[in-house]
Amino acid sequence: MKYKNIILAATACMLVLSAGAGSAWAYFTTYTEASGGYAIRLGSQSTAEEEVGDWTKHVAVSNDAASSQPVYIRVKAFAGSQNPLTYSSESGKWSRGEEEYYYYNDIVEPGGKTEVLDIKIDGVPVEVEDGDSFNVVVVYESTPVCYHEDGTPYADWSRILDTGSTTEGGVTE
Amino acid sequence: MKKLKRFISMPAVTVAAFVLAAALLLTSGIGGARAALTYYSETYAARVAMSSIGVTLNENGAAISCRDYDKDGEWNHVDGALLEGMLGEDTSVKLGKKYKEELSVTNSGSISQYVRVSIHKYWTDADGKKCREVSPAMIDLNLVNQDTHWIVDPEASTEERTVLYYNRVLGPGETTPLFADTLAIKEEVAARVTQTETKRDGGTVITTMYDYDGYQFCVEAKVDAVQEHNAEDAIYSAWGRLVSVSDGTLSLK
Repeated sequence: MKYKNIILAATACMLVLSAGAGSAWAYFTTYTEASGGYAIRLGSQSTAEEEVGDWTKHVAVSNDAASSQPVYIRVKAFAGSQNPLTYSSESGKWSRGEEEYYYYNDIVEPGGKTEVLDIKIDGVPVEVEDGDSFNVVVVYESTPVCYHEDGTPYADWSRILDTGSTTEGGVTE
Repeated sequence: MKKLKRFISMPAVTVAAFVLAAALLLTSGIGGARAALTYYSETYAARVAMSSIGVTLNENGAAISCRDYDKDGEWNHVDGALLEGMLGEDTSVKLGKKYKEELSVTNSGSISQYVRVSIHKYWTDADGKKCREVSPAMIDLNLVNQDTHWIVDPEASTEERTVLYYNRVLGPGETTPLFADTLAIKEEVAARVTQTETKRDGGTVITTMYDYDGYQFCVEAKVDAVQEHNAEDAIYSAWGRLVSVSDGTLSLK
């Protein structure tokens, strides 16, 4: 009889306690969720291709196929004071800009290449003698295409992505 | 004292206490039901109101994810993905460009409710491992309608997580104003670089490598909904947040 009373009392306590738990679960709730994302591809490498003939350098710069970003490209050449340089472009896509660079107007996508920029070496002696020398350095730079909030592309040349130079020189014999 | 002991040990007293406890339990159950179903007849509400809470997350005007109560403990749910059509014609994410990312919530049930949204932003490396060296702030999800319709919970928000409460009751079929409208990846993510110098074809090439190339940004949005009735207690019980509700307007305590 004594045990029966204890069991009844314990059951009563559990019932009272479980009443509180019941009210905690009485609210109606639900939820839903979704997620997503993209990988960011950064970086590119450019390569200058040159042909030399008739005292003119024909320069084109490519954005390597392994690159992951479209770029803007600019080019500048240096030579001795006796050999001034003249730039020209049949495509009309190169234009002189700040810091005496020639800027390619179009965006160069990965795997793409600029049109040719001709750099003529002037001041070459009419009759070249053995031992005459010349030295022309071509510097090219690329910067990743940046975008305004509305998606309009622009170049920020304070962020140079890739800088390269080639040197063409020699001694006449 | 002996009399009291004798009285307590009487079987009739024990049985009476048991009956009283059972009565208390039943009474508390009725109270809970009343708190939830005030506007409905008991029979009707028990069948319809309980089967109709539901919530949907919308992206750019389309429902992408939902979870609605059906019946007999079954839920209808759609688990969609965010950002799937974000790029449009772009082949990759353009840094700095603002992409359309309009997010809102619809009450897809048939009882009024309060909702909140938890947004998580983070980065994973090329191996898919969560990384903390890139700031979640580089993921610029532009939040809108703050202070007018959506309240940021400063206690629950961190750099990675933002918790927003819709400050009004959301009726059945209603859609909230947007809580976000655009997403952009800030250009600063490209600021950390390593440069290498190599000789090639008679010249020197300086190549800039981005430290975060290949990293993936992730955005998660979770919507919680709770019944309108007895909202303060319901929200505290379900979400652990103290709120005040006055004339249907919710504010954080």
